[in-house]
Amino acid sequence: MDKKNSYAGKFVRVNLTNKKIEVEPTPKKLLREYIGGVGIGARILWDETDEKTDPLSAQNKLIFLTGPLQGTLFPQSARYEVVSRSPLTGWWAHSSAGGFFGPELKYAGYDFVIIEGKSEEPVYLYIDNDIIQLRSAKHLWGKTVPETNVLIEKEVGDKQVKIACIGPAGENLVRYACIMSDYYRAVGRCGLGCVMGYKKLKAIAVRGTKGLGVADKDKFDKLFNDWIKRYTPEGKYWEHVSAMRTYGTFALTDWENAIGRLPTKNHWTGYFENAENTIGMQPLKNNHYKRHKSCFCCGIQCKYVSEVRKGKYKGTESEGPEYETVEAFTSNFLSIDTDALIRANYLCNIYGLDTITTGHTISFAAECYEKGLLKKSDTGNRELKFVDKPENSKKIMETVLSLIEDIVYGKDEFSRLLQLGSKKAAEVLGGDAWKYAIHVNGLEASGQDPRPHKSLGLTYAINVRGADHLTSLSSLDELGYKEELLRRYGKKLVDILADRLDERYKGYLVSEMEEFYSLVDSLLLCKYGTMWPPLYYFDDLLDIIPIFTGFEEYSDPKELEKLASRIVDLRRAFNIRLGWTKKNDSLHPRFTQEPIPTGPAKGQVCNLEPMLKEYYEIRKFDWETGLPSEEELIRVGLQDVAKELKKKNKVVKNPKIPTTGRKWVHWSKRIK
Amino acid sequence: MAKKVLVVNYEKCSGCRMCEVVCSWRHQQEFNPAKSAIQIVTLRDKSVDIPIICQQCDKAMCQQVCQPKAISYNSEYFAYIVDEQKCIGCKMCISACPVGAMNFDPDKGVAIKCDLCKGVPQCVRYCPMGALEYIDADKISIKKKYVVAEKFFTEILSAKSLHQVG
Repeated sequence: MDKKNSYAGKFVRVNLTNKKIEVEPTPKKLLREYIGGVGIGARILWDETDEKTDPLSAQNKLIFLTGPLQGTLFPQSARYEVVSRSPLTGWWAHSSAGGFFGPELKYAGYDFVIIEGKSEEPVYLYIDNDIIQLRSAKHLWGKTVPETNVLIEKEVGDKQVKIACIGPAGENLVRYACIMSDYYRAVGRCGLGCVMGYKKLKAIAVRGTKGLGVADKDKFDKLFNDWIKRYTPEGKYWEHVSAMRTYGTFALTDWENAIGRLPTKNHWTGYFENAENTIGMQPLKNNHYKRHKSCFCCGIQCKYVSEVRKGKYKGTESEGPEYETVEAFTSNFLSIDTDALIRANYLCNIYGLDTITTGHTISFAAECYEKGLLKKSDTGNRELKFVDKPENSKKIMETVLSLIEDIVYGKDEFSRLLQLGSKKAAEVLGGDAWKYAIHVNGLEASGQDPRPHKSLGLTYAINVRGADHLTSLSSLDELGYKEELLRRYGKKLVDILADRLDERYKGYLVSEMEEFYSLVDSLLLCKYGTMWPPLYYFDDLLDIIPIFTGFEEYSDPKELEKLASRIVDLRRAFNIRLGWTKKNDSLHPRFTQEPIPTGPAKGQVCNLEPMLKEYYEIRKFDWETGLPSEEELIRVGLQDVAKELKKKNKVVKNPKIPTTGRKWVHWSKRIK
Repeated sequence: MAKKVLVVNYEKCSGCRMCEVVCSWRHQQEFNPAKSAIQIVTLRDKSVDIPIICQQCDKAMCQQVCQPKAISYNSEYFAYIVDEQKCIGCKMCISACPVGAMNFDPDKGVAIKCDLCKGVPQCVRYCPMGALEYIDADKISIKKKYVVAEKFFTEILSAKSLHQVG
């Protein structure tokens, strides 16, 4: 082993149309300029697709990416990222999963895999170190995720093989199907499982036994114990690490409800009465927690297996549910039936569905039903209601659970309509239905609400993949990390920034998070540890990136800023090329016009504009059109992108950049 | 010094494999679970993780089958250690090991075996869940006895008074 960095060094390109498999060295320039994960994914997707590339076409690419951290001893090194154009939203798509698949891909010797073309017959890709084969998956088509895993393990005769696959939802082109790896880890959002299903790629199975190194061994050894310490009682955020280890993301349900931010009844409100005693962390821990689990080499250890112990679904067992799933299948329907929640999580896992979009597409239909836009005759005779009294939870959730299975198989016209997700389903229904499809740019809002947490409004509005919580969310205001706010931004701003209801400076804050996560998703670190709790910040990345990659320039905050902006701007440019304008940087009116009706944040709405101005100021976008600045693209090293956008009239020479009169010191000038 | 042994608390292991990566890093200077002397077997359809460790058997089969006598006992660390100079890569030790703990390095052509890191097992030090312990052999089951006693108390004794149980 004479590795000079922690990259695997090669990548695979698989053409499913002509079955050609190519292995090439990973270009050094690509690594240097984009690091890994979403960064490299953005570059490849920009280069190899264009605005005419239909998400569901042979031309669309599906790229599985790792970063420099995967497979190393860095105490959060599990994730891999998948990048493509989304069949759910039509925009840019990235989504990642933890588990063991990402590290295994690198142990096999590959930094990333590009899937292109479309197969006639179902196939799966098998990688065992230097052996790469496309194999028939005819016998796997129609199988659930666990069945597929067991069959492939048997077929290749190796139980250590790591598998990313789709379930029947992806095969049947449900627009929000996900890719499931290691049985229960979901590349959840944006419908990337649907892209896989369209391409007739059932699975990627990987086995690797090669080693990885680091660029700076001495510095790695020196800092390793410092990183490890952050996950022990000696660490600054031990209380939160420990809560995650004890309760997993269950813990969030109580915390979010306490600030009135727990989506309830299709985002009608942010407060679910008595949640702590019904669907909160303690009841879930007591009644469903079965065993502890973890992703690869993780210091946090937030995973668990849960089970149903009584009643109709007794014996149902699956990893999770995560907080987002808890919310989507309990408070979202006003239900307290946690057995049904565990069942819903299990069904989404085995069929390969995004729990967030599934829950919120069904709750969209429930609100249409409530408002009289859908009648029983329209829903295939389903009584699709919100729970009226807690004791009716069981009965109503039965309808939801059977609808999940019907959506997977497109059993009737109504379930086929819901296969499209809430935005497109609302377009088909017409009339006022759009009012109840709570999405931003086609992606259903996740388990947050921007009314009690203003900065989240901007997060949803400007995210390249729509209303998700992982591309730029700030937990510092959400969960009140005052000490960290003080450390990062100083005494003057700490109170304003910590105030969830104050919009001032939040545009700057969200913009900073977007830059931070673009690096986090390229390295790939986990959001647990960078978002919640805030164990790492830019100052750590100044060490981490050179240690693993050997790219010393990134120990300079100025160069690190250019790298982050390059990735952020390139993803945005991808959407701009597809027709994204300022109009897209907006929110669903539920969040801007309907005051939150109950709970601790009662009466609040989200005022987007002041935050959007700050955000545009930092990103140097044109306030009238939302188009990027040509000079800025050139500054961050995207000359060719600027040139192409210029030809298409989608870049502005002297953009009108809004000024807010507020003073903000950019992180790259603050940290050392 | 009392003899010390490595033990696993099976119910605590979450299957994160940090032990494997630490082991390969400390011994082989690479991140590679395939070259670790400790390996976790995950029964994935059941979501159960079982670390397989070298038990440092008192009658060590690996040592007994080794023709070139490459495996010797170190009484300071209470571990059988592979001498990489003497090892011929015949893999008989791997066949003989009753628990499947022996491993093989195809690059160097030698057996990989747990040496207890000269008395400071790194897998124990870095296990986030405390699933691995390095303890005195003559106190090997005391902790477990306490766990059982606690369970016995909470599930049986606390429900009844002591004389009722008697």
